[in-house]
Amino acid sequence: MVNPVLLIAVPLGLAFALPLFGFISKRIEKYIPVVGMSFNLVISLLLIPKAMENPIIVSIGGGKPPFYINLVAGPVGILFSLIIAVVGLLVSIYSLSYIKKGATEKYHMLYLFLLVGATGVVLTGDIFNLFVFWEILCISSYALVAYTGEKSGVESAMKYLIQGAIGSSLLLIGIGMLYGLFGTLNMADIAQNIDSVSSISIFVPLVFIITGLGVEAAVFPLNAWLPDAHSAAPSSISAILSGLAIEVGVYAIARVVFTIFGAESFFLFLCFLGLLTLLIGEMSAFSQNNLKRMLAYSSIGQIGLIVFALGIATSYGVAGGLFQIISHSLSKALLFLSVGYIIYRTSSMDISSFEGIGKKMPVTSLAFTIGAFSLIGFPPFVGFPSKFLIVQAALAKGEILFVVFIAFILIGTVIEAAYFFRVVQAIYFKKEKNNSEKKEAPIAAIIPMFILALLIIGIGVYPKLVTDILDSAASEFLKRADFIRGILG
Amino acid sequence: MIDFLSHYIYYIGAFGLIFIGIFIILVKHNLIKVIIGISLLDTGVNLFLISVGYISDGTAPIFSSPDMKAENMVDPVPQALVLTAIVIGVAVLALALSLAIKLYKHYGTLNLRKIKEMKW
Repeated sequence: MVNPVLLIAVPLGLAFALPLFGFISKRIEKYIPVVGMSFNLVISLLLIPKAMENPIIVSIGGGKPPFYINLVAGPVGILFSLIIAVVGLLVSIYSLSYIKKGATEKYHMLYLFLLVGATGVVLTGDIFNLFVFWEILCISSYALVAYTGEKSGVESAMKYLIQGAIGSSLLLIGIGMLYGLFGTLNMADIAQNIDSVSSISIFVPLVFIITGLGVEAAVFPLNAWLPDAHSAAPSSISAILSGLAIEVGVYAIARVVFTIFGAESFFLFLCFLGLLTLLIGEMSAFSQNNLKRMLAYSSIGQIGLIVFALGIATSYGVAGGLFQIISHSLSKALLFLSVGYIIYRTSSMDISSFEGIGKKMPVTSLAFTIGAFSLIGFPPFVGFPSKFLIVQAALAKGEILFVVFIAFILIGTVIEAAYFFRVVQAIYFKKEKNNSEKKEAPIAAIIPMFILALLIIGIGVYPKLVTDILDSAASEFLKRADFIRGILG
Repeated sequence: MIDFLSHYIYYIGAFGLIFIGIFIILVKHNLIKVIIGISLLDTGVNLFLISVGYISDGTAPIFSSPDMKAENMVDPVPQALVLTAIVIGVAVLALALSLAIKLYKHYGTLNLRKIKEMKW
C-alpha cells in the first residue's frame, strides 16, 4: 500500500534538495516542482479507492492515536490533496516559461513549500500539526507575494504578513486553550470529549480559532490583505493563492466547525457570514478597473459562496460547497494564468488596454473566456453544476430564510456576470487603439491553460466524475461519530 | 484578591503581553515598532502556552532520581509546542525585517502613513 505520508515527505525533501540540484545544473531546478507535483498527483489518484472505503490513518512514530501525530487521509483529505496536486502541477508547468527574472531558485523552493504546507494542512489529524503546516503555507506565501521586489509587491506582502501574524497568534491561543481544556491535541480525541465541558468554555477557543483561520481564508471582516496581495503577486502565484491557499483556509474552518466542535448553532452564522462576504466581494469587484484586483475581489465573493454552502450543513449543501471549491480552483487558476500572459504582453493591468486582444492572442483570450463563464456558472462548464447544487441544497432546506439567501446569491451572480462580460466585451468586440505587435503565449503556458479548460468542460459536462468522492467527503464532515470512531478505533 | 492574582498571574501576564502587542500593531505608525509588536504578541502566546502546562513548584519532566513522581512534573507537551512556535516566530520576524529593509529602499521611510501606494 502507498503511504499518504509520501504526499508530504517527497515534495518537502525535494524542496530542501532543490539548491543541491542547482549545483549539478542550473537548468534542472525549475523542473523539480513539476516532478514533485506529478508524484503527488499519481499518489493521490492511487489512494482514492482505499480512502473512499475507510480513512487511512498513519501514525508518525508508530503509536496508536490519540498519542503521537497522525495523518488522516479520508475522502476530504484526498480530495483536497488531489486538487492541490492538479493545480500545483499545472501552475508549475506554467512557471517554467513565466518566471525568468530574479532569484528563480528561491521561487521554485518557496513554491514547493507552499504546496507542502497546503497538503499538510488538509491531511493532518492533529491540531497543532495543522498550525505548523499552516505557518509553512503562510510564510512561503508572504515571501512569494514579494518575489518581484517591486514597490507594490513588497508593500502588500508586508500588510499580508502583519495581518497573517496576528491571525496565526490568535489560532495558537485557541489551540492552547483547547489543550488546556482537554489535554490532547488529536482532533478526534478533542471532538470526542467536546461535550464534556460547558458550552461557554468551548465558545472562546472556537472564536479564537475561527478568527485566526478566517484571516487566511479571507472571510469578510478579515480580508483586507487579499486584493493587494493577490494583485501584486506574480500571476502564477496569484493563481495558487486564489485557487488553493484560501480554499485550504476554508477547509480548516470547516474541519474545526464540523469535526472538532460539531457546533450546530454556528452554522446559520456561517451562512450569514458567507452571504456578506459574497455580496461585498462581488460589489467591490464590479467597481474595479484593474483586472487582477477585480479577479482578487471575485475570489472573495466565491469564498463567500463556499462558506455559505458549507453553512447549509446538509449533505447536498456540503457537497455543493466542496464542488464549488473544485470549480473555483480550476476556474480562478485558469483566469489568473491567462491574465498573466495578457498583462505580460500589454504590460498594463487596466481593462481598457485589453481591447482587441482577442484577435492577437486567440488561445489565451479563449482560456480567459472559459474561466470567466465557468465562474459565472454557464451550463457546459464546471461552475454550473456546482452553483446549481448549492441553490438546490438551500431550497431543499425548506425555510423562508434560505430562499431570501438564495435571492441574494443570485443577485451576486448577476453582478459577477456583469463585470466579467465587461472584460469579455473589451477582449472581443472592441477595436484596439494602438496597433502593436503582440505574440501568443509560449507553448509551456498554453498547455496548462488547455488542460485546465479541458477539466472545466469535462467535469461540467459529466459531473459524475467527482460526485462520488464529494458525497463521501460531505459525509466525512457531517458524520462526526464515524470520523472519531475511524481514528480512535 | 491576592489568591486570585497568585493563581492566575501567568495568564494575566500572558494576556497582558498579547494585548500590548496587538495595541502596538494597531496604533504605531513606525514599521519597526509594529514588528516589535508582533514579537511581543508571539512572546505572550508562548507564555500562555507554557502556563497552560505549568504546576507550581513543578520539576522538569525527567526522571533524574528514583524518588521523583510524575505528579510533580510539568506537562512537557506545551513546552514542545512553544519550541516550535518560537522557531516559527523567528521565521516570521526575519521575513518581516527583510521586507522592512526592502520597503525602506523603495520609499526612503518606515512611516506607514507615508507608505500607501496601494489602497488599504
